[in-house]
Amino acid sequence: MASAKSTLEARHLVRSFGDGETKTTVLHDVSLDLYGGEVTLLMGPSGSGKSTLLAVMSGLMRPDSGEVVALGQRLWQMSEGEQRRFRLRHCGFIFQGFNLFPSLTPREQLEMVLRWGEGTSHRDAERRVEEALVRLSLGQRGDLTTDQLSGGEKQRVAIARALLKDPTFCFADEPTSSLDWGHGEQVIQLLQAAARERGATIFIVAHDARIVPYADRVYHLDDGRLSASGGRQPPDSCRNEESGG
Amino acid sequence: MRLPYSLILIGRERGRYLPAILAVAFCAQLNILQWGVLLGTLSVLSTPVDRSRADVWVASRDVLSIELGSPIPAVWQSRVASQPEVVQSEIYLFGFSYWHKRRGGAEVCCVVGSRLDEQALGALADLTPDMRKRLTEPGAVVVDASEMDRLGIASVGGSAEVFGHRVSVVGLLHGFKSVGSPYVFCSLRTARMILPMFQEKPHDTMYLLARCRDPKQADELVERLQQYPDMSAFKRDDFSQRTRLYWLTQTNAGIGMGCTAGLALLVGLVVTSQTLYAATAASLREYAVLRALGIARWRMGAMVLAQSFWVGLFGIALAMPVVFTLGAAANFAGARVLLPPWLFAGGNATTMVMALLSGLAALRSLRLVEPITLLR
Repeated sequence: MASAKSTLEARHLVRSFGDGETKTTVLHDVSLDLYGGEVTLLMGPSGSGKSTLLAVMSGLMRPDSGEVVALGQRLWQMSEGEQRRFRLRHCGFIFQGFNLFPSLTPREQLEMVLRWGEGTSHRDAERRVEEALVRLSLGQRGDLTTDQLSGGEKQRVAIARALLKDPTFCFADEPTSSLDWGHGEQVIQLLQAAARERGATIFIVAHDARIVPYADRVYHLDDGRLSASGGRQPPDSCRNEESGG
Repeated sequence: MRLPYSLILIGRERGRYLPAILAVAFCAQLNILQWGVLLGTLSVLSTPVDRSRADVWVASRDVLSIELGSPIPAVWQSRVASQPEVVQSEIYLFGFSYWHKRRGGAEVCCVVGSRLDEQALGALADLTPDMRKRLTEPGAVVVDASEMDRLGIASVGGSAEVFGHRVSVVGLLHGFKSVGSPYVFCSLRTARMILPMFQEKPHDTMYLLARCRDPKQADELVERLQQYPDMSAFKRDDFSQRTRLYWLTQTNAGIGMGCTAGLALLVGLVVTSQTLYAATAASLREYAVLRALGIARWRMGAMVLAQSFWVGLFGIALAMPVVFTLGAAANFAGARVLLPPWLFAGGNATTMVMALLSGLAALRSLRLVEPITLLR
């Protein structure tokens, strides 16, 4: 049983790459629910289709079939512009690597998201960015350029960028892969706090088993097929229709 | 107030953007300087017209440029003098002859003969009273100081032979270095003596000059004189411009200059657009994150265009002191480089358009910005 109403429902997702004899199906009829206030972890070996599932569920990659319903809206029936506005309003992303402009400071990188995304005034952006930097213990490092930050600090800036808009969803693709476990654990705790304190829906794709204790639900993807494998909540929403789930 | 991101990135990544800024600077310098040289060169061609006191120049029919006139009867002066607006008129001789140096060798020279009194219409304003007095002697001439070597003259008092007559340099001018044949300024009497065509046609003149009671009457006078089928008349400024335009359009000078300017713009365009393209391509992953977060692509395009604007502005700012310095150095060395404000405005506007076009060309790199590329 779900402890809360799902915020995102993925149904019968199929995605393949290539044509003819080279066609490879990466997702086999995958269905999955995500819940607000929870951390959902998707694990699996390299090449199992984890990142593809994240891309399809977050509106970055169109599935061959199936649908994604986020906050009651069918994501893949939206126009490109509607999808972009949905992401702008509701989604945060953390990708592998930090993907920060090397010569901008954390403060500038975060302000850019607010000012370019929401058209926030300079004063408001400055205030919200300051709050975000303090929350992530980056208050003293906000005016250094990215080049001058440690790996852990860079990833915290990337998390701050993803959570700055207070998004409904935060999609994280291997957020700890570039960090030692000490910094990685901090990152997961920050994402967990976003779920607990703000009710965000956190979806993490990773293969590091040390994250499992922090997840509310844990799923396993192997060769494009989904199975539940534990977590704090009973993974009731996991279904792989092809295998009878 | 925070600086724009486009400016911050250029400031902090100076090494990356420097080639584009230098390319723009090179482009701006080359454009303005070469047009300045051309304007200077063309202005020399029309100097005898520009430095005269005449309001109207009368010439043979359809003359294209001051050097291309044909002799006209000097008695036509009565046609000019009888016009109600005219208060003064005079003849003006202009032609080419051979200048034989004392130590051997010859040069084609451009002989300009005019009246020399204080009220003369054709005499250069630069002639001092002493020079005017000396020039009344038969065979006395003045030349530009920078042409002395070319004419085989060591100093004032030096002499040569022109069309079988001994001439003596009685003074030196500055700023009359010719593009082609050196100018030799003298009295009407001397000009008739050393110009072959006026020896054959002693009752002809090359031009007739007129001064109106009021310079504003020149238009009316020109219109009336143009009705004579065998002669043409121009206001002084129009004749000057006609001479310069002829050289600009009918010779390869203008075409060549235009090609060089186009080439400079092309080089600037390619270097700037490639630099901006490379700078944008180097940040594709960062832009892709912004796209994933829902930020519109036009925001990134606007930043690339803003960068092209700053690159253009910095390039122009870098070029201007160099243009002034090189222009002054060229003028000091005897070349004439004219740098009027409109040339700066036009040259810099062209360079800025080039920089913005290169920004537009660099926008193609943004097509590569796709969030999906961030997922491995």
